[in-house]
Amino acid sequence: MFASPTVRISFIFLAIALVGLLFADIAITASNPWRDLGNFFLGIVTPNFFSSEGLLTALLRTVAFAFVGVALGSFFGFLLALVYQSLPVRIFCAFIRAIHELFWALIFLQFFGFHPLTGVLAIAIPYAGIFAKVYSEILEEADPEPGRALPPGTGNIVAFLYTRIPDCWVKMRTYTAYRLECGLRSSAILGFVGLPTLGFYLEASFSQGLYSDAGAMLILFYVLIATMPLWVRPKLLPIYLLGAPFFLGEGLPIVWGNVLRFFTEDIVPAPLRNGEGLAGLTPWLNDLMINEAMPGIWNTVVLTQIALVATGILSLLAFPLISNHFGGPMRRSAGHVALVIVRSTPEYILAYILLQLWGPSMLPAVVALALHNGGIIGHLIGRQTNSLKLRPDAPTGFNRYTWELVPRVYRSFLAFLFYRWEIIMRETAILGILGIYTLGFYVDSAIQNIRFDRAMVLILVTALLNIGVDALGRYIRRKLALQTLPNC
Amino acid sequence: MALNIIRKLMLSSFLCFTAAAASAETFVFTAIPDEDETKLVERFRGVADYLSEQLDVDVRYIPVKSYAAAVSAFRNNQVQLAWFGGLSGVQARRLVPGSEAIAQGVEDEAFETYFIANSNTGIAPADELSDLKDELQGKTFTFGSKGSTSGRLMPEFYVRDTFGSKPEDFFSRVGFSGNHTRTLRLVEAGTYEVGALNFQVWEKELSDGNIDTDAVQVIWKTPAYPDYQWTIRGDVNDRFGEGFKQRVTEALLNLDNPELLESFPRSGFIPASNDDYEPIRKTAEEIGILD
Amino acid sequence: MSGFDLSGLTASFSGKRVIGPLSLKVNPGDKIALVGKSGAGKSTLIRLIHERINRNSSLVPQDLGLVNALSVFHNVFMGQLDKHATWYSTLTLARPFAKDKAEVLSLLESLSMGDKLWTPAASLSGGQRQRVAVARALYRNAAVLLADEPVSALDGPMANSVMTHLRGRFSTSVIALHDVDLALHYCNRIVGIESGQIALDQPTENLAATDIMSLY
Repeated sequence: MFASPTVRISFIFLAIALVGLLFADIAITASNPWRDLGNFFLGIVTPNFFSSEGLLTALLRTVAFAFVGVALGSFFGFLLALVYQSLPVRIFCAFIRAIHELFWALIFLQFFGFHPLTGVLAIAIPYAGIFAKVYSEILEEADPEPGRALPPGTGNIVAFLYTRIPDCWVKMRTYTAYRLECGLRSSAILGFVGLPTLGFYLEASFSQGLYSDAGAMLILFYVLIATMPLWVRPKLLPIYLLGAPFFLGEGLPIVWGNVLRFFTEDIVPAPLRNGEGLAGLTPWLNDLMINEAMPGIWNTVVLTQIALVATGILSLLAFPLISNHFGGPMRRSAGHVALVIVRSTPEYILAYILLQLWGPSMLPAVVALALHNGGIIGHLIGRQTNSLKLRPDAPTGFNRYTWELVPRVYRSFLAFLFYRWEIIMRETAILGILGIYTLGFYVDSAIQNIRFDRAMVLILVTALLNIGVDALGRYIRRKLALQTLPNC
Repeated sequence: MALNIIRKLMLSSFLCFTAAAASAETFVFTAIPDEDETKLVERFRGVADYLSEQLDVDVRYIPVKSYAAAVSAFRNNQVQLAWFGGLSGVQARRLVPGSEAIAQGVEDEAFETYFIANSNTGIAPADELSDLKDELQGKTFTFGSKGSTSGRLMPEFYVRDTFGSKPEDFFSRVGFSGNHTRTLRLVEAGTYEVGALNFQVWEKELSDGNIDTDAVQVIWKTPAYPDYQWTIRGDVNDRFGEGFKQRVTEALLNLDNPELLESFPRSGFIPASNDDYEPIRKTAEEIGILD
Repeated sequence: MSGFDLSGLTASFSGKRVIGPLSLKVNPGDKIALVGKSGAGKSTLIRLIHERINRNSSLVPQDLGLVNALSVFHNVFMGQLDKHATWYSTLTLARPFAKDKAEVLSLLESLSMGDKLWTPAASLSGGQRQRVAVARALYRNAAVLLADEPVSALDGPMANSVMTHLRGRFSTSVIALHDVDLALHYCNRIVGIESGQIALDQPTENLAATDIMSLY
């Protein structure tokens, strides 16, 4: 069994995670975590939909930011996809998508302030990088034959419009719709840094222990996402897109001088700004690297590896929930609902909730990341098992799980897992804002101390770390010949 | 079809840039989010109404999610007035030349931080922090916000000064709860064993009967230091007319609505100046929060 | 120019020569049937000829090259994409012009597919797809037809009808055909391919079915 490279790599990652556990800070520090968890669930079942006058507005803004951000992201992502062969473009896209929406928001907040543009760009920029990559992959996969059958002399644009776009249209549309769902999640969590979306009110209610109010917001959010197929219709899209910009809220006017100041002063390293020159830069950078970047990287990597393996274990446990090889339709529907809930909840919100309930440590982050990502992968491979035809006399129950299904889906399971590796790391870094000592913690501290030069260096470090893990993940997938369609 | 969508996207993105262009001359202020949001919104909406009435301009309060966001909004001239803590005020005035501290609460001249502990730790109150060294060492500890004066700067200063080590080395776990109310709740619930908070928040919650005194108690009080103040930008007169700064100052100093004052809670506002906060600046530089 | 003279035709697949080197002279008016066993190199030869004379040919490739997501109309219209301005073709994608619609419709009617004008290519049967590719070649209306098994998925009467159309529209053609009777009936010159070489090249009137069978 250990001769199989997929099994071997699984055990290597498991071992890394176990070693990581020795160093990780895993604890429940709340004195009465279960009572708090109980109160929280009590809040969910007794939602208070009339708590805040702003709730409906917040929901509307959440949708508006998602629509405008994703639309701009997909438009510019598409343009970038057309020139994606160029290496500088690839590097540029890898870079902008390696920086999390919340980091982008924190950056724009410093000079646009509470203007709608902050939220829109925070979604549009990283999404453009992701769209560029995925669109170009889809375009590459288009059937080349029709292009060859074209009359010679056909213009490039026309050839592209007739042979590539129609072939890729459905895939691109599906992916874009999926991204819109991600956009709703991103939009919601932007509220945590002060934009007027759902997260703003969710944070306020949670921190005050108003669980019924928070429960109502979560329920509305799930309903919003679960009903997407009903209200996101091709015919209605133009209306949404035209209307969305008007529902972003007013915010505060932009002062353009601030933009200039940010780029020419704020982010210039302090020693250079104060005229100490390069001689002062080295100790400044050393201090930053040793006291903040290194511990941040270490904690980010440890937490990522543990969360990755936890995600894997949870997905393998979760997929039978929706697989039609087990149980009846009743149980499967319940399984669907459970998976929809865990994967619709942004990791950030899950981690925030668990941190409130269990106290600060890496544990809430690991559980949040595993629940969300495990829910997604579990859903994907569960659906995959539904297309498997087993022989009529195949074993049932646990034997069916271990002998028939897991071996068949294991490769795509690993492909999804390694695909999400980078995504998990992106999220791990950002969870630092909540007080776990990953890179985001140090970025947030630098921003809280109005030291944007330090924040920018740390964000750069985070981006490079993400790019590195992305490359490693791709290398492993290629090495093991794991193929998968992008799915987030 | 593809083209259709593209056309619509461009149109809507254009609209998004123009949507926020128009905004009348409104006097905007903010405050550091040092307490629960509903309380802040209630308190500062009252202040906004009061100022609007006194100054005869539109006055708007915007809530923010962090101390830094309050400072940035002030610096970026998106707000012209702010209710800052000692540290955030120093940061803001350094970044905005010409800005001034114009009023502080009566209590802010001599502000204090309370160290509180969960009763399960068995720590008894002491007059000197150094007496608590053995009891406190290795406990879990929470500050308030990273940018708070009473919730972070002063307690960190006294921990370093008294115990000669960084908080994260002295305590087994150091967290930032976010604000004073939350520090209180977390220590009360035992999530953290020890915490440090704004004494006014403690006293107010105590008198409102919101504290379970069997679960949490004050174990040490810091010496007095200057804290909260109203800070205004230097360029408001250019924008809102000659003498505007003076009128704002007077309006704040004359605020005597007991309900509004109670919500801060302050017994009244008195004049303040930038120099009053020199001690805070020195302390911040000493522990490396300010460059 | 509708005849051409090609020499030095050769193709290799992973180091192994699958065709040629061979020469083929096609005269105006030649209606050539390429016959031979499957794997003999007919498709490769068609491809090679197409590469050489590109601009002047209507092509029906073996895999048809249809865009599944587009309607039959658009797939046929693609035969003349080089003749229209970019804006015209782009607009046609969203909203075809009446003139083109009429032209394509009459072409499809002649192939008994008039009712499928707006059906997406993805939902057509194998025989229908083949006729769409044939319609595209007819619509292109080049001087020379290059076709690779254009009627392999059609039943007898339909195959005959399509071949009649092709013979009527193109004076010069090279068609790979495995059906010997069709080859003899619709072509005036038979070229037999065996192991990548021309093993037979005769006017049709000199040949009978049995002569060709020796190639199989």
